[in-house]
Amino acid sequence: MLIELKDVNKTYNNGQPLHVLKGINLEIDRGEFVSIMGASGSGKSTLLNILGILDNYDTGEYYIDGRLIRGLTERQAADYRNHLIGFIFQSFNLIGFKTAVENVELPLFYQGVPRAKRHQLAMEYLDRLGLADWAKHYPNEMSGGQKQRVAIARSLITHPQIILADEPTGALDSKTSEEVMQLLGQLNREEKVTIIVVTHESGVANCTDKIVHIKDGIIGKIEDNRQHHASQFGVNTIMK
Amino acid sequence: MRDVFTEIWESIRRNKLRTCLTGFAVSWGIFMLIVLLGAGNGLMNAFLRGGEGLSTNTMEVWPRRTSKPYDGLREGRRIELDQGDADVTAGPLFSQYVDDVAPTVSNSATINYGKKYVSGQMEGNYPARQQMEKIEVIEGRFLNEKDIRERRKVVVLPESIVENLLGEGVTDSGAQIGRRRFSVSGDNSAVLAKSMIGKFVKIGGMMWRVVGVTKSDESSNSNTFYAPFTTVRTVYGKGKAIDEIIFSFHGLNSQAESDAFEKEYRAAINKRHRAAPDDERAIGIWNSFAEHLQMNKGERILSTALWVIGLFTLLGGIVGVSNIMLITVKERTHEFGIRKAIGASPWDITKLILAESVSITAVFGYLGMFLGMIACEILDKTVGQSSVSIMDAQIAMLVNPTVGLNVALEATLVLIIAGSIAGFFPARKAAQVRPIEALRAE
Repeated sequence: MLIELKDVNKTYNNGQPLHVLKGINLEIDRGEFVSIMGASGSGKSTLLNILGILDNYDTGEYYIDGRLIRGLTERQAADYRNHLIGFIFQSFNLIGFKTAVENVELPLFYQGVPRAKRHQLAMEYLDRLGLADWAKHYPNEMSGGQKQRVAIARSLITHPQIILADEPTGALDSKTSEEVMQLLGQLNREEKVTIIVVTHESGVANCTDKIVHIKDGIIGKIEDNRQHHASQFGVNTIMK
Repeated sequence: MRDVFTEIWESIRRNKLRTCLTGFAVSWGIFMLIVLLGAGNGLMNAFLRGGEGLSTNTMEVWPRRTSKPYDGLREGRRIELDQGDADVTAGPLFSQYVDDVAPTVSNSATINYGKKYVSGQMEGNYPARQQMEKIEVIEGRFLNEKDIRERRKVVVLPESIVENLLGEGVTDSGAQIGRRRFSVSGDNSAVLAKSMIGKFVKIGGMMWRVVGVTKSDESSNSNTFYAPFTTVRTVYGKGKAIDEIIFSFHGLNSQAESDAFEKEYRAAINKRHRAAPDDERAIGIWNSFAEHLQMNKGERILSTALWVIGLFTLLGGIVGVSNIMLITVKERTHEFGIRKAIGASPWDITKLILAESVSITAVFGYLGMFLGMIACEILDKTVGQSSVSIMDAQIAMLVNPTVGLNVALEATLVLIIAGSIAGFFPARKAAQVRPIEALRAE
């Protein structure tokens, strides 16, 4: 198992204690294309934070590739995020004053890869995503879909074990959303990348092979969706 | 390293005005520091030039009046030094410290040469005096042993008197006005000095041969001239009385040792004149070593004070930089969150802010330092070239008011430390940004 969560609990203590995750047990295997679906307040964002080592949990165990992720120093956590996880965000989170290629290079910069090497790699990835011509452009000169593809290139460049996508289509129109989801699906099939998508849209979830439903901090049913018929709006469409 | 600078440049480029305004305060601080230190150096150099002609191991002793009744005699009695005092000074009692002893007699006298005359002070002296007072002979020679032994009627005149005797129009000594007199008439006075050697001047109705010309500087008396001790004593009928004893010493290395010696010496001389051993007013003692120590102490205090003032001025700039960095960190919180999410360690972020802070401080600091050095040069070319004439003496206000390379290095160190301090708290704040910030929508 690539990812293993055993009875993970998380409580926020902002005045009123809020028990957000109430004993999460989840296993995700290498090469899976999974979506975590839930309404807002269901705890899916908190789960994503824990999966991405952006936040810590109170009790339970979380393993990535057999490594227990717990009580890490900030430095170790940064290192794991850098090497094991690629992030795709709802609002793209590209750095505005850096060009597309510089944004893609950034994770390699934090790995200490020499400038020429990381530039070359970043250009390769941009090219694969059809953005070679846009390499020297700044994010505010690109469309939403292009920005998200730059972000995907950035998440892939370190060859991470897991790609974590947080509402990757949240800021995109339906057509672009579909393209992005197809791209993720393609990456999963062709490159065998493990992808976890967190979303509240059933249409987005339907693009994945497995849907984990989360509600009130507890995992409900886990749906096998290899036939992609889960969406009430029909197959291969994302309704906005 | 280049990547860090690229990042800094990108950040600064987005906030040009803000960075420049903050940087100005730093430039100003360093500018003030450099100018203050330069002016301080100039002031100190001017003082030291005044003291340049004095050695640091001589004492001058002259008679005064007693201030305490002692041995049946009342206070206010006039003391007269005589040859015996000189002998005691040179005697076994103080031989551990005292080197040369030169008693002096002096008399006011008028020098006639042709139609010109100059009134001045004739000092009967010993050859050793030249060493003790660092008298610089520019032409001819100083007094020698043979002059003393044979009671020759020879005189050594200072440059200023020679100029007045040979010069045009001026018949009064010590009336020099203007800027840098010696640089203006330097060549001319050397020629004059040379032409004076071997000539006879008339003093007190007798003819004296001029054997040497000495350099007169901007601060020392310009109308004192020298003749052999024995000659002056005989000519003016001084008998055994002497006006002043000057002696050089060695082996006194601290203020305490110097004070102890002075006390002992005073007691010995006082005793010879039946004055209380602890009567500090029976004889006057001027100790050039103690003076020298005082001068050094003064220099240290001045320099420390200027550094403190300069650093406090700089502090304003530092606070400004710190403030601006805090704002930067606030603005870039989301960005730092993203960076951390994709693998930046806290130190990577800290480094970014610290480097930016040090860069701003250093660049603007160097600008200020550069301008400060230019200001010092301007000061040197203007105020530094002028002197004021006070009581017949030329006193330079500022001499070479510039700072050396060591100050530039120290200031560099100060800038780097200052930049680090300015960046420290903002950088710590930046490092504490949580990677979850990245998930917060803008």
